[in-house]
Amino acid sequence: MKQLMKKNNIGWLFIIVSVIAIGMFYFYPMFDALLLSFQSGMGANLEYVGFGNWSRLFNDPTFIQALINTTTYLMVQVPIMIVLALFFSVLLNDETLKFRGFFRTAIFLPAVTSLVAYSVIFKYMFSGDGIVNQLLINLNLIDVPIAFLSDGFWAKIVIIVAITWRWTGYNMIFYLSALQNIDKSIYEAARIDGASSFQQFLKITVPMLKPIILFTTITSTIGTLQIFDEVVNITNGGPGNSTISISQYIYDLSFKYTPNFGYAATVSYVIVILVIILSVIQFKVAGDKE
Amino acid sequence: MKKVLGVLVTLLLLITLAACGGSEDEDTSGDNGGEGTESDGPTEVTAWAWDPNFNIRALELAEEAYDGETELDLEIIENAQDDIVQRLNTGLSSGTTQGMPNIVLIEDYRAQSFLQSYPEAFYPLTDYINPDDFASYKVEATSFDGENYGLPFDSGVTGLYVRTDYLEEAGYTVEDVTDITWSEYIEIGKDVKEATGYNMITMDPNDFGLVRMMLQSAGSWYFEEDGSTPNLEGNPALREAFEVHKAMMEADIVRLHSDWSQFVGGFNSGDVASVPTGNWITPSVKAEESQAGNWAVVPQPRLEVDGGTTASNLGGSSWYVLNTDGKEAAAEFLANTFGSNEEFYTTLVEEIGALGTYTPGTQGEAFEAGDEFFDGQSIIQDFSNWTEEIPPVNYGMHTYAIDDILVVEMQHYLDGRSLDEALSNAQDQAETQLR
Repeated sequence: MKQLMKKNNIGWLFIIVSVIAIGMFYFYPMFDALLLSFQSGMGANLEYVGFGNWSRLFNDPTFIQALINTTTYLMVQVPIMIVLALFFSVLLNDETLKFRGFFRTAIFLPAVTSLVAYSVIFKYMFSGDGIVNQLLINLNLIDVPIAFLSDGFWAKIVIIVAITWRWTGYNMIFYLSALQNIDKSIYEAARIDGASSFQQFLKITVPMLKPIILFTTITSTIGTLQIFDEVVNITNGGPGNSTISISQYIYDLSFKYTPNFGYAATVSYVIVILVIILSVIQFKVAGDKE
Repeated sequence: MKKVLGVLVTLLLLITLAACGGSEDEDTSGDNGGEGTESDGPTEVTAWAWDPNFNIRALELAEEAYDGETELDLEIIENAQDDIVQRLNTGLSSGTTQGMPNIVLIEDYRAQSFLQSYPEAFYPLTDYINPDDFASYKVEATSFDGENYGLPFDSGVTGLYVRTDYLEEAGYTVEDVTDITWSEYIEIGKDVKEATGYNMITMDPNDFGLVRMMLQSAGSWYFEEDGSTPNLEGNPALREAFEVHKAMMEADIVRLHSDWSQFVGGFNSGDVASVPTGNWITPSVKAEESQAGNWAVVPQPRLEVDGGTTASNLGGSSWYVLNTDGKEAAAEFLANTFGSNEEFYTTLVEEIGALGTYTPGTQGEAFEAGDEFFDGQSIIQDFSNWTEEIPPVNYGMHTYAIDDILVVEMQHYLDGRSLDEALSNAQDQAETQLR
């Protein structure tokens, strides 16, 4: 018994450093931010306002616009990206395909580029005299350049295209590695039973990848909810407020306007709450019974 | 057993704390020069500013010109303006002065926001400078609660840069665009576009600089005089600025851009016939040498509302001293150079074309010299004269927050919403949001 106690204590010793560090640098700030979200005021002159910030949220057209925009990105972009990534990974997993390594690298490459660098390039590609407009004009598809970045609808499309380009390859890698773990004999058996490729994909590949799909959906959801770099660099939230994201609004509240860190913390907690709700839903829908 | 565990945990905590303390000590000696403060060596003063060719250069020239009693060791650190704003906000709100500079450059639009958000954080310069020596609009922007906190620096005095060759082609002379209203400006713009095919102006729909220029030229701002009550709905100057903006769009004389390089590209490539903006654009205009002799600068057009003038300000910033160790030395340095040295201002004009707002320092040959690029016009003298006419306004605390609200409403107004509705929406939003 004594021996066991000793063992346990030594175990505790090993983790105590990280427990303290995580507590100090992770949970304490989170708790402090929660306290902060019930305060309001300019700069250092903060005072407790109870739920004042929370009621302000619902009357704040900029916040509502940011919430709508972020949700739009989420609803449109994540499904497109997941399906694309699945599609690419299955194609690239085909052993008869030549230059597989090259294609894999090409599709994964965007994931290693800097967020700011690629955003700036997208901004120039889609500007009034950018390469996309010139291409469309030369192909005689349009007569006048499309104002991609100064039109609310097109600006959203550009953002969605940009993040899809950046993150599809990243998710594809997860699927590719998961595909390696599926036993080939399952496919062989299916083929003998006369299943078409599409049936194999739907009935074998997708169910076998389910945990990975769930994982990528959740990480992509969290990532998209926090989207900042792309919006700031490509459109800076414009035109008007039509592409502003929640994270950008938090930045504006803290650093662009006269700082109100309390209200900014409240808006940050909205992201936390959204992430929790959406993750629970995704687990319920896609997860197993356990 | 428990005792042993307790001792171990305590030890561990102590080690962690000691480690933190240790590094803190190192920081102090690294930043402020521990030895320097003890002995009689020069006092170390740190300054943060942005723009190496302008503000940083001005600081370097100031260091050379300094001849005060306290020996100084000035360390100039260059940061982007956004980074300075961020670092000041995080530093000041956490209540620490660790790693903060002694002198910092702050844009005038943001000055009140900092002064009021962090009372006690800034050191009043009232005893070091004579406010009457500076342009009154600058003093208004940099003072709070009866004290002068900022030492006014560069003038953001505005002007209308025009392409004389394009005007000529459309049958206009420089006199025809001098002292005009914005409606006349739009009419001329239409003729210029018809004659030359070039747009009159390049504009960023997300940047409200032009509207702010128009407002200040009429002695008006987004706020009442108290600097905090939004004054949007019943503001005649703002109404006219909105109407002018829409009229420009409808007249089809606007080239759109979305960032600084596209803005500069607009006039460097010869795509636009005029640029109404602050005098700090001069170096960028002159960068395109092939256009030498084809430019002139006239006062910006005025609004037709009561009190509309042709002088305004866009941008511009001032020096502030933080309330930390070394504040006296820092204040003395600023007062000795930017605050009283007339010769130094001549050097600023000669070396970097920087136009200050120190009235005694705005005379002399350097100011009268004609500029070949502008066909011999002495633009610095002109700008300097216009600076004195700029109506002072209280920029208040929330200029950029209102900007963002108005940008959205402007979009709605352009899309067909009535002006009354757009401005009353903006007023409602401003009232609920700014507190």
